[in-house]
Amino acid sequence: MLSKLITTAAFIAIGTTAAFAHSTLETTEAHVGASYKAVIRVPHGCDGKPTIALRVQIPEGMIAAKPMPKPGWTLEKVKGAYEKSYDYFGTPMKEGVKEVVWKGGSLADDEYEEFVFRAFLTEGLPVGKTLYVPLVQECPDGATERWIEVPAEGKSGDDLEYPAPGIKLLEKKSGH
Amino acid sequence: MMHVSSSFTRLARLMVIALCGVLMQAAAAFAHASLNTSEPQDGAVVGTAPSVYVLTFSEPVSPLSLKLVRPDGTAIPLERFDLKDRVVVIAAPSDLGHGTHVLSWRVTSADGHPIGGSVVFSIGAASTAPHATEDKIDWAVRAGLLLSKLALYVGLFIGVGGVFSRHWLLFGPRSGCKVVAAALGIGLLGALAAVGFQGLDALGVSVTQIVEPVVWSTAMATSFGGTAIAAFAAFCVAAIALRAKGRSARLSSLAALIASSVALSLSGHASTAEPQWLMRPAVFLHVATISLWVGALAPPGLALRRKDPMALQALGRFSAFIPYVLVVLIVAGFILAFVQVEKPQALLETAYGQVLMVKMALLVGLFLLALANRWCLTEPVMAGDRASAKRLVRSIAAETLIVVLIFGAVSCWRFTPPSRALLALAAQPASVHIHTDKAVALVEVLPGRVGEVDVSINLATGEVEPLAAKEVTLVLSKPDSGIEPFKRAAARRGDADWRIERVNIPLAGTWQVRADVLINDFEKVTLSDQIIIGP
Repeated sequence: MLSKLITTAAFIAIGTTAAFAHSTLETTEAHVGASYKAVIRVPHGCDGKPTIALRVQIPEGMIAAKPMPKPGWTLEKVKGAYEKSYDYFGTPMKEGVKEVVWKGGSLADDEYEEFVFRAFLTEGLPVGKTLYVPLVQECPDGATERWIEVPAEGKSGDDLEYPAPGIKLLEKKSGH
Repeated sequence: MMHVSSSFTRLARLMVIALCGVLMQAAAAFAHASLNTSEPQDGAVVGTAPSVYVLTFSEPVSPLSLKLVRPDGTAIPLERFDLKDRVVVIAAPSDLGHGTHVLSWRVTSADGHPIGGSVVFSIGAASTAPHATEDKIDWAVRAGLLLSKLALYVGLFIGVGGVFSRHWLLFGPRSGCKVVAAALGIGLLGALAAVGFQGLDALGVSVTQIVEPVVWSTAMATSFGGTAIAAFAAFCVAAIALRAKGRSARLSSLAALIASSVALSLSGHASTAEPQWLMRPAVFLHVATISLWVGALAPPGLALRRKDPMALQALGRFSAFIPYVLVVLIVAGFILAFVQVEKPQALLETAYGQVLMVKMALLVGLFLLALANRWCLTEPVMAGDRASAKRLVRSIAAETLIVVLIFGAVSCWRFTPPSRALLALAAQPASVHIHTDKAVALVEVLPGRVGEVDVSINLATGEVEPLAAKEVTLVLSKPDSGIEPFKRAAARRGDADWRIERVNIPLAGTWQVRADVLINDFEKVTLSDQIIIGP
């Protein structure tokens, strides 16, 4: 009981205190057929410049995305058609938010910030594979940090310079 | 109390285990640092060698390997450096020469994952391609080139010039016919061999490759191709004119003389130098007058030895026109030397100037001999003095020998400064086609050699349609020389054409080339392959 408590505490500690060099997602595993809360962690700007916008592409198969507003930032939701119709708790969904943009703020290079959205991982997503969520940090003078590299099939993302954050897809939870 | 203590120990042990878990998780999640700025800047040209190099990273790093790759490809390990949080200050070596240097770094950041990159900078100016003379010299090819050039000159001047003088000075006697015919034959073989050796030299391959068609086609593609064709035409026309008689023979011998003069004004350093309006006519006149003079040595000389009465008439005509020929020859020669040498000290300091000095010394001997013939021998010979005639024949033979030595000296010019024809060949691009399912890139480096180059990248889709991209970045690295990757952003030049101007490629050899193609904001295609950069 005590050990479980400490382990949990440890996991919370990584999530909140560590400053990562890559922009990443806090939760890197999720069940399909369920909601997913994406917490995007932005550890630094573009080569020393502050981040003034963050753009997230909602990948195919991730639907009903709802971004969390952030004080000091303007929220933009780019809507479009999905590749196919998805079943969302019995409702067919053919279109929705495909890109989320937080802009108008300024996050200095030596500051840390988190951006949150919630979405639904549809059941058809391939269990065992990784779903990549590409991010772009925009900075003044056209500078960017694009976290959009996806490793080739069967390769690890460790060697990539700007890996896109990914979610390992787990089997649908039974029961509920 | 005891109980509390035991549970406290258990708690401590669990905490250690948990902490290990935390650290491991953290290690997996922490990632790479990136270089924010550098001093000198990547791609910079600095006036003097910097005393320190400064690398500023996005987070604290620890250097694994820092080295400086010099223009000659040797690497100096940089072992003295200071770490100040995210900044690495490296003590620079003091004894650096001019040229392009690469500061190649490899560091590890908090995650323990090593990353590397390169800062390319030039001291004074960017490295340029080393001169051809610094390459290994293939003496067999060189000797072949020299001898074939010499044979070509013998054919053009003694052969074609001889045919001309037979028809315009001697009118008839068969004297010197065999010598002239032999000279034409030597010249023809020389022209043929010169093409082959020119090709071998241009491609930098050994004599054994002379049977390869590419050797010959390469030679013909250089400016020497025109010379070979014109010389061949001159030899053929001269051979026909040699045995012919009358007006048509005189005209065709004149045509051969013109063709031979055109031949030598089509290639070579002097012909291709600026100003062209002056240099090409100067070469033409210089060559034509040499033909007139040199061609008029052997046939009349041999006629004189045979006591042919026509020889004396020929000698009279020769004495009458040769002063004008020599004036044109010398004026044209001075113009050529003046433009080519530029500064008087170049006469002694450059190989070109040294060859010119040797040629001048031989010329002085030749002129002294000619003057002696003119002032001391011509009149007694014309008066019918046999002893003087014998001395004149010997003197003409000596003149011919000196002329051949001059040809030999002039042939050496072929090797002095890097010829423009060869530079044009070196300007051919290095290129590579990189194929992936999503995109195809043609990367061209022009010229395909060390130094400042332009890189063009043409993009197509997998279906070979032009590919419109948002951004293109070129990444170059050379792991075998310890050069970590450096990046250059490309500028759009057309729908699917991108270009990077003035990229400094510091070393020759096989480079890893990568094109990072941003298709849209969220999609990037990476194409990588190798490209060979020449010296």
